[in-house]
Amino acid sequence: MEIKVLFMIIIYSVLIQNFVLSRFLGLCPFFGCSQRISSAIGMGCAITFVMALASAITWIVYTYLLDPATSIVGFFTEGNGAPDLRFLRTISFILVIAVLVQFIEMFLQKKVPSLYRALGIFLPLMATNCAILGVAVLNVEGFTAIGIHTKLTFIQSVTQGVAGGAGFLLILILMAGLREKMELVTIPESMKGVPIACVTGGLMALAFMGFSGLSF
Amino acid sequence: MQRTLVQEVTKGITIENPVFRLLLGLCPSLAVTTSLINGLGMGVAATFVLICSNGMLSLIRGIIPPKIRIPIYIIVIATFVSIMEMMMEVYTPALHKALGIFVPLIAVNCIIFARAEIFAGKNGVGRSMLDGLGAGLGFTLSLAILAGIREILGDGKLLGYPVMGQSYEPILLMILPAGGFFILGFLVAALKLYDLRAEAKKSVLLASNP
Amino acid sequence: MLNIAKMGLVLGAFCVAAALALGGTYEMTKDKIAIQRENVMKEALSGVLPEAKKIIDDTIDGKTYYKGYATEDATGEPIGYAIIAEGVGYSSTIRTLVGLTPEGIINKMNIIYQLETPGLGTKAVEIRYGEEDPWFQRQFLNLPGDSVAVDKDGGQIVSISGSTITARAIASSIKRETEWLKAQGVIKPGTK
Repeated sequence: MEIKVLFMIIIYSVLIQNFVLSRFLGLCPFFGCSQRISSAIGMGCAITFVMALASAITWIVYTYLLDPATSIVGFFTEGNGAPDLRFLRTISFILVIAVLVQFIEMFLQKKVPSLYRALGIFLPLMATNCAILGVAVLNVEGFTAIGIHTKLTFIQSVTQGVAGGAGFLLILILMAGLREKMELVTIPESMKGVPIACVTGGLMALAFMGFSGLSF
Repeated sequence: MQRTLVQEVTKGITIENPVFRLLLGLCPSLAVTTSLINGLGMGVAATFVLICSNGMLSLIRGIIPPKIRIPIYIIVIATFVSIMEMMMEVYTPALHKALGIFVPLIAVNCIIFARAEIFAGKNGVGRSMLDGLGAGLGFTLSLAILAGIREILGDGKLLGYPVMGQSYEPILLMILPAGGFFILGFLVAALKLYDLRAEAKKSVLLASNP
Repeated sequence: MLNIAKMGLVLGAFCVAAALALGGTYEMTKDKIAIQRENVMKEALSGVLPEAKKIIDDTIDGKTYYKGYATEDATGEPIGYAIIAEGVGYSSTIRTLVGLTPEGIINKMNIIYQLETPGLGTKAVEIRYGEEDPWFQRQFLNLPGDSVAVDKDGGQIVSISGSTITARAIASSIKRETEWLKAQGVIKPGTK
């Protein structure tokens, strides 16, 4: 059962409810980093990595600090229960993500300079990327499309983070491939740049709608 | 050249329109614009946050060490977003539900960061709030245009009232994600075409009477 | 070093201020939000059990259903039951709140969550021009809940053209939940 749920989360996050084309999360890198396949791969990998890590850490913060049902604060109040801190969700998630991104940047710079040079310029943009805060919020809100109306489990959250990032990577690479080809085509002056990228994105979204009938 | 106070507001709607000119805040612009009421709600919510955060950040710009200004921007903006979210849940629960995760995601809206970094960190409180109001109105107007077109074409309605008559068969594509991309693309292209025409006219005028 | 400490202090002060501001707002709004959330479910329940004066929830084997009573103090036999039926549709899990009479006849129903394809699956909640209620859901009313099925499965519900999966998901989830209530002895068909 658990495996089936994980599988469905992956299929939904990558294909059916793709983060970019169906949920409209992370459109800035979708338009900004899709000129070249190489930079698309770099950005996509960086996003996948941060999304997976952010899913894990925000889940822990939410479960053990904010949610009164499972909060460890309850141990210190002598049975009076933990305070409901869920209203701090947005601010704590965004701070955790900002700190995480900063740490990853410092760690890579010191330990893996080659990876840092490859991902480096994309990392600072990550703190305010809506796909990352988006996946963190989605994790604690459940996955209504497959009938999970409560918070996801830890494994499910990380799976959604990785799969969402993989879906992102897929779309970025496809888009970059199309845009590299499009440079060779004559396009009316007014359609150049973002407009044609929008129309291409729309056609891709239409194609991805075909996945929505997948059922298990 | 110092802008007048009115220009401080109008620049956000016209020359520095966040969605159509600066291409910021595209995620909510496409995600919530399936109906006009959602688009307007999102616009008003973001405007509230923009005015508050711009005002607050301008007020405290003297005491923030420049090195840590970004984390402080994040904290201030996220605080106002959370306050606004709680207010929304109390007073407009239906809208809060319809906008879903895009309410907390206002906290990572690039428009708000851009206004904080470009404007509020360097200008007085009054001007910063007017700048926030302008950018917010520009965002709201853009969302209203996108949402209005999508709702009329895709649903045959406007604000829930049928406007296209009974025999109109809605173009479903328009309220699907794909339609959002198409409409945005064509609107940006139309604006660019207008600019190109205006520029061509200007250069013709310049050439004829130097 | 002093600089770092100063920056840390400023940052910490901002965090404390933010937490205080949020905590204050939360204290002011939390009761209203709780009432608001309760009202949503209450409204949905009284929508499907219109005659009930008092509705209380009950669980069997960890599954929740709702009992509607004719009097404010919930005495006597319930005059109706409500349960949430979940079915996997085309692109989402559809949740339907069904109100049943004690004999298991569908009294009212309300689709409370769906994310089906706009224009196809969403016809399940479509209200036709000039009408009051969704035409698809109207077909279920006054039918025994444990016998509903779409026409393609030999039932009496006219399916939504192009969206059989959605229609089938709704019908079969209602059938399943009614049968469950019957198996638990909550509703007793044929007693009237």
